[in-house]
Amino acid sequence: EFANGVKDVVDPEVRAYVSSLVTALGGSGADENGQYVLGDDALACLRDLKRWLKLYDEKANRLDVARCLAESNLVGGDLLQILAAWPENATDDKMKAKIALACLELLVPLTWPIEKNLAQMTVNHHRHIPYLEIAQLGYKRSIINFDGARILNTAVRCALPSMAQSPVDRSTRDEGIIKIVLYFFRNMALIAPPPNVKYDGDEADISRSATIDAFDYQDIFHLLLMMCSTMGEDFNTQDVVVMDILFHLVKGVDIEKLFMTETQLGNSQTDELVELRKKEAALLRGYQKSAPSRHNRFGAMAWISRENSKKTAISGQSAMTDATKGLAKMDSTKKFKPPRRAQKGYTGPMDFDAPVTLSPTATKHLRSFVEDFIDSGFNPLFSHIRKAIDREAERVLEIHSRQFFYLVGWFLEAERVRRKTKAVTRSKSPAASDIESFSLVAGVLNQEMFVTLNKAMDTAYENKVWNDLSASMRCFTQILLTVQEMSECPLEDDQDIAENILSRIFYEETTHDRVANITRTYKDQGFGYLDACTELCHNYLRILEQYSKQNVDLQVRSKRRVRRNKKAARAAGNDEPEDDVIDESENEDEAKAEQASRERKFDFKRFAARFLVQGCVDTFIAFTHFYNDLKPSQLKRAHRYFYRVAFKQEMSVMLFRVDIIALFYKMIKGPEGLDSSLPSFKEWNDLVKQLIKKCTRKMEERPELVVEMLFSKISSTAHFLEYGYDKQTVTSK
Amino acid sequence: SRKRGDDLGLDEEIEVTKKPRAPRVKLDEHRLLSDAGIPKLRKKAKAHLKFKGKGHEYSDAANLLAFYQLWLDDLFPKAKFLDALSMVEKLGHKKQIQTMRMEWINEGRPRSSVHEDT
Repeated sequence: EFANGVKDVVDPEVRAYVSSLVTALGGSGADENGQYVLGDDALACLRDLKRWLKLYDEKANRLDVARCLAESNLVGGDLLQILAAWPENATDDKMKAKIALACLELLVPLTWPIEKNLAQMTVNHHRHIPYLEIAQLGYKRSIINFDGARILNTAVRCALPSMAQSPVDRSTRDEGIIKIVLYFFRNMALIAPPPNVKYDGDEADISRSATIDAFDYQDIFHLLLMMCSTMGEDFNTQDVVVMDILFHLVKGVDIEKLFMTETQLGNSQTDELVELRKKEAALLRGYQKSAPSRHNRFGAMAWISRENSKKTAISGQSAMTDATKGLAKMDSTKKFKPPRRAQKGYTGPMDFDAPVTLSPTATKHLRSFVEDFIDSGFNPLFSHIRKAIDREAERVLEIHSRQFFYLVGWFLEAERVRRKTKAVTRSKSPAASDIESFSLVAGVLNQEMFVTLNKAMDTAYENKVWNDLSASMRCFTQILLTVQEMSECPLEDDQDIAENILSRIFYEETTHDRVANITRTYKDQGFGYLDACTELCHNYLRILEQYSKQNVDLQVRSKRRVRRNKKAARAAGNDEPEDDVIDESENEDEAKAEQASRERKFDFKRFAARFLVQGCVDTFIAFTHFYNDLKPSQLKRAHRYFYRVAFKQEMSVMLFRVDIIALFYKMIKGPEGLDSSLPSFKEWNDLVKQLIKKCTRKMEERPELVVEMLFSKISSTAHFLEYGYDKQTVTSK
Repeated sequence: SRKRGDDLGLDEEIEVTKKPRAPRVKLDEHRLLSDAGIPKLRKKAKAHLKFKGKGHEYSDAANLLAFYQLWLDDLFPKAKFLDALSMVEKLGHKKQIQTMRMEWINEGRPRSSVHEDT
């Protein structure tokens, strides 16, 4: 307890020990021109501090020592000064190297991401974590912006002797050193202001851009490239940590923007501004249309007369001019809100849906790194990790498979965008002979990868781990798009390979089922998931349709049970009870045989009919509800789907529901409708118009639709309403 | 002093009676199937719902939406239009409503096809 009655949050004895250690570490003296001077027993002090962290904080599951160290400014005041005092020309100094390593051994636990596991948190955690989270931001800022020396580069120098050895010669200690340095970079890349916390300092100092600039300036990208390209040869177990670093560097980065030239980026930013101003103007115009033209106490009153001489009074002049506005006004005065479930969006360091903007220099640096990585590190790193995931290596955690799929998807997209930009520049210069093959990314296009991906999607779907599923869906989408591009590539070898892969993807009916099921079962998993699953569905349908047109006799392997056979087998089975056991195993064999795959001809129309169920429609409707925030490509995706439902498959009845009509009407006619200057506006206008026309005609044709307009329809009802007769179903007798 | 307290009724036990809260009006299958519900919707639709057709798509749609909105406002005044719609949609999964929906659809079926089925 202090003199003023404030109670200290940390045991005073602990505080005393720790701060005396910090003091003994060293300091800057006036007689040395303010230079930092190491204490006599600095190394021992550093080791003691490490011991405190380990034996007090970790063992007792408290955060007291970390809190004390944060309050005493150990990182900025001492550790960084000590690291800076190890100049590059003194790399051979054994003592200094040892001390530098000891500093790193403290920095890594101090910057380690704090897990908030509600079940295991104690009072102490709740007390210290908010403070420590802010402190970590300060650590990151002082480390990557340190003026005196390149701290990250110094860290690399600590590990260089260990890295230089061949993996067989490395001791456990060497492996540990390499790991510590890598984790240090991981922490630097990961630390970001936690959600819902306002950071006092300048966010630009710790932003992603600052991190990327620092990694470039301090040659960390070189180290990462070197490690990735020799993964499996010079490095083995470090793969997941390296991937962790990559993940935190590129998550949420917009690839299109990354590959724009600076002028393009400038243009696009101006365009963006113009677009935004236009959007704002349209918004204001929308309001002004219904805004009162007189002062707010003008007091106009109107009524809507309804049946049985019933009247509803509404106030305000806007209501008098227009019946729809009057009804909208009537609706807006209602207060009742039905109970609603909150959306399950995820925020935190593992979130990859939050978009990130990069500064021009950071964009340049990251782009060159990404290009180098695809050229040299993509195949070795990702093949190596895929193998580790497959054999469930001990170092692979759950989080790593999510990162793996996200990164594979991300880099595949980056490669596609890069090819596109290259193609543009190549068409200008006539040297068209240097068409590159897709071998740079071939490491993730083999059969093993599909097995892993399919398995991951299945388990994520079954265990309801939506973020994992979202990542693997993105990966799958990018693989599809890459393979499709490959099949259009002028190189014949690539065409053959692509053909092969596509046939393998579309050959398995389980994949068809999976995509349909995922699309069907969306339910408040957040926008990122919704985006991923609609994107997959759109591209899967599109590419499969194209493929099945080219290969008319496509066969699929399906796993259909034939109940009939089973029954017959049972009927033929022996009735005597002692034969039961044998009978059972026979039945099992039978079942397995039934499970066994049988091939049948693929019929795209029938396949696409699976996407006409209400669940899929609802998913796309949920997606379309965000129409004002969707990018042109996303709007197009939704448009194509509804077009397919209504006109290609002729099941527009699935869209005849009052809330859907209301949404479409609002999109076109407002208020807050789709911006009419958008290029896609016309497409939507046509679609909605046609739909409404069909809908009104249908309602006249079949009056019973008046009721069904309120409800979700099962496919047999929908079929009857659409065609006027029941679906012919083949029944086996 | 005790006497005065008696006069004032201070010592008497006060009976705390909890007045039951007025039951909340709910939009449930009974309300939806009552006279003001879907039966009324069907009757009204026959009389009022007229469309102009080609060239008037959006005014037709506005008409259609207004038709449903006013019906829902009569049926369950306190909820907003879109909220009420989703509540009704949810009720559509109930057994009772599903059978009624089938009946209404079957009314629209041509007689002969029903016979064929059975």
